[in-house]
Amino acid sequence: MTGHLTTAQLLACREPGLEPGVVAARAHLDACTECQAELQRLDQVKARLKALPTLRPARDNWALVQQRVRAERRARWRTRIVAGSMAFAAGVALMLMVRTQLRQDAGQATAIHEAMQRSSQLEQVIQQYNPDTRMVDGQSQLVAGQLEDRIAVVDRELERAQLLAAREREDALLRLWRQRVGLLDALVDVHLTRAQAVGF
Amino acid sequence: MAESLVLADADVVLARARAGDMVALERLYRAYEAPVYNLARRICRTVEDAEDVLQETFFEICRSIHQYRGEGSLWGWVRSIAASKALMRLRRNKYRDTDELDDEYHGPVLGKHEHGGLRMDLEAALERLPEVSRAVVWLHDVEGYTHEEIAGMMGKTVSFSKSQLARAHTRLRGWLGGEGALA
Repeated sequence: MTGHLTTAQLLACREPGLEPGVVAARAHLDACTECQAELQRLDQVKARLKALPTLRPARDNWALVQQRVRAERRARWRTRIVAGSMAFAAGVALMLMVRTQLRQDAGQATAIHEAMQRSSQLEQVIQQYNPDTRMVDGQSQLVAGQLEDRIAVVDRELERAQLLAAREREDALLRLWRQRVGLLDALVDVHLTRAQAVGF
Repeated sequence: MAESLVLADADVVLARARAGDMVALERLYRAYEAPVYNLARRICRTVEDAEDVLQETFFEICRSIHQYRGEGSLWGWVRSIAASKALMRLRRNKYRDTDELDDEYHGPVLGKHEHGGLRMDLEAALERLPEVSRAVVWLHDVEGYTHEEIAGMMGKTVSFSKSQLARAHTRLRGWLGGEGALA
């Protein structure tokens, strides 16, 4: 090899691999003090880059992230939950029919169905109120946000509950749908009570 | 760098975050806010772009934390999202051709620098690199990504990544003079 190594060749010497060009470059490097010094300089720049101070944001961005997450969760309710409720309601109706035929107790399935219906009604109340377009005071926003977060957690658990074995699933579904109804009731209270108080 | 940011009760926080718990998600944000912003700011040209990348990264994390199965470090997962968002931001902004040297200095100077071929400090020299070159330097030399990984993230070839890195170092060499050499 004639002349000194280029920056690209020097950097290639630091990469794993034994390509013919790299082997020749490494052989040159072993014998050339100037190229060794240049490679050390490159290593030094890399070390200095790693040692640069960590830049930090000038403001707290969490509130904006949280706002987007909550807005997306609300949007998801309006589509997925309504569609999911309808599909699940059909499933419950089928289960009820089967159970009736088998003369088994359909009480729990009916209770799940009722909780789902109530949940759907409350969703519609909130949707009609359309909280996204309303001015909300800080305290109401905080409480509404917390309730929405808890509903999102219940929704996740509902998804998981679908995977459980039959008897266990029904118990879990009933508990979770009732919990969801309770949270939605509270959310309706937060939005509508405040709205009525200020004359919406 | 951020590997040292281990949450004391990481398993509990992760489990709660996967369940959608906002308090747990906020704890993840607080733990990784600085390294994510740093990566974004080193790659993006402006503070505003870096903040957007920070927000988009954590929005994505909140949406898909349940997909993180604990294979590899949490920071590795978070960082791959952040790097991907930062590179998307570069593409979206359609910054100048990577072969062109950006002679016009943009944005705030992070440290002192001198014009006219005199020595610059490393911060200023890094900022002066074209966006794609700077992104490759940062991802390879600081974050430790391989050329294969960088090529995959950028939708380019391995040779492209290697040549960007070499060009960037040649430019840094010119701007920094012998500053980087060992005494």
